Amino acid sequence: FRTLRPKEFYDRFIAENIRPDRRTFKQFRKTTVNVGSITTANGSALVKIGNTTMLCGIKTEFAVPKLDSPDHGYIVPNVDLPPLCSYRFRPGPPGEQAQVCSQYLADIIKSCNLINLKDLCIVKEKLAWVIYIDLLCLDCDGNVLDASVIAMLAALRSAKFPKVEIDEEVDKPIVSKDESFSLNVNDCPISSTFVLFDKNLILADPTSEEENLSSGYLTITVNNDDGLSNVLKPGGRGVNDAELNECITLAIKRARDMRDLLSKLC
Amino acid sequence: MEIISPEGLRIDGRRPEEIRRFNCRLGVLSRADGSAYLEQGNTKALASINGPHQAGDKAKIKHDRVHINFQYSMATFSTNERRNRPKGDKRSIDISQLMREIFQSAILTDLYPKSQIDIHVQILQADGGNYSACINAATLALMDAGVPMKDFICSCTASLVDSKTIIDVNNSEELHFSNPLLTLAILPTSEEIILCQMKSRLHADHLEDILKAGIKGCKDIYEIMHREVLNHVREAAAVMNAT
Repeated sequence: FRTLRPKEFYDRFIAENIRPDRRTFKQFRKTTVNVGSITTANGSALVKIGNTTMLCGIKTEFAVPKLDSPDHGYIVPNVDLPPLCSYRFRPGPPGEQAQVCSQYLADIIKSCNLINLKDLCIVKEKLAWVIYIDLLCLDCDGNVLDASVIAMLAALRSAKFPKVEIDEEVDKPIVSKDESFSLNVNDCPISSTFVLFDKNLILADPTSEEENLSSGYLTITVNNDDGLSNVLKPGGRGVNDAELNECITLAIKRARDMRDLLSKLC
Repeated sequence: MEIISPEGLRIDGRRPEEIRRFNCRLGVLSRADGSAYLEQGNTKALASINGPHQAGDKAKIKHDRVHINFQYSMATFSTNERRNRPKGDKRSIDISQLMREIFQSAILTDLYPKSQIDIHVQILQADGGNYSACINAATLALMDAGVPMKDFICSCTASLVDSKTIIDVNNSEELHFSNPLLTLAILPTSEEIILCQMKSRLHADHLEDILKAGIKGCKDIYEIMHREVLNHVREAAAVMNAT
């Protein structure tokens, strides 16, 4: 019944005010975070929201700063949704959903000023760090955005980069094997995704099934001072004032819970 | 830097005929028909199976056998230097082709004509023996998916250092170019060799020794894999009986 008529299957549960996985409409799934599992990367984090699993790995390289910002480094987020995580994805270059996710993370990094790009500069005009934030989805059961944001934060906060000194005579960088430094992460933005159904129904933290049945989604990112740093609502059915306020309140609470979780870890 | 110290121990403290710590788990992904996670020392691989299902590409449908679609991908953060192209580059396609041939010989392909099985292996951390981890992970995932096979496919690497054979070679040992590296995959019960690959020079006299060492390594790995599959089936049966 569930595969043949998903909408009716869901309607039966919604009539009883509950979802098939026994959550209430506004409840988020159990979230676990694990850092430091990939030792070849400078920093790594594995985040599970329910069944959705995102692995984030941070690698760095040297680069020459841009001409118009000679003391800035680079941060490059990249999300990969391979066929491994869901039969819906085909192998090949990143699809739409992956690109949208990558761009969203880039927007968050910029709007929260997550990392001061000046911290990444080694020698003005000559040498700077490039930080590659690579997110790999291992299991896609809805709400990849939220998991990506948490994974990115956890990995950035726990990452260690080697100290670099310039050998003056040869003008070459010497990478220290013993000394390392951590990044100064300025903010802690946490996003919460809601999906919209008809008849004023809003569900928090959708599973893949719920995403397929929905008629729109809304993602709200809340930063450290409980302010909004990013709101995304692309098309779908309209929301009114009251619903939006309710979602913002829920997002603020969720952000506080996630921040507590992250501060225990790193 | 010596690969085998005077006391007979390797860089990571193993004896020459010892395989790395082997950890595996089946059924780790919720969305795939079969999945397995495997750790051979520090090399971590994750495999997922989708199928058998209707073949997507009409050109690839074979009227009497199943078409196996294999994708090998290394995460960008899996190696010491960041990999720019995790898949689609020549090496990955070459490896995917190789793996497809290997599994074609072990899966009972006649049972699913006109269908397709998708095998996707992701290397999360690469510390030597990547192909072996890939084959072992894919085998376990196929077991989890219930795809009928002739036998397990177990894979191991072997090398020759100062006329002593070592098995299950890790990354720092692999990088020593002067030593030959043999990658071997066998069907353990019949000891048939499915894959034998070596890309360096080796005197013909030593071939027998290094093959024997490789086969022994594969059989050690088979024991652990077999035990894990039986455990997994036992647990699944217990859950089914309880409900």
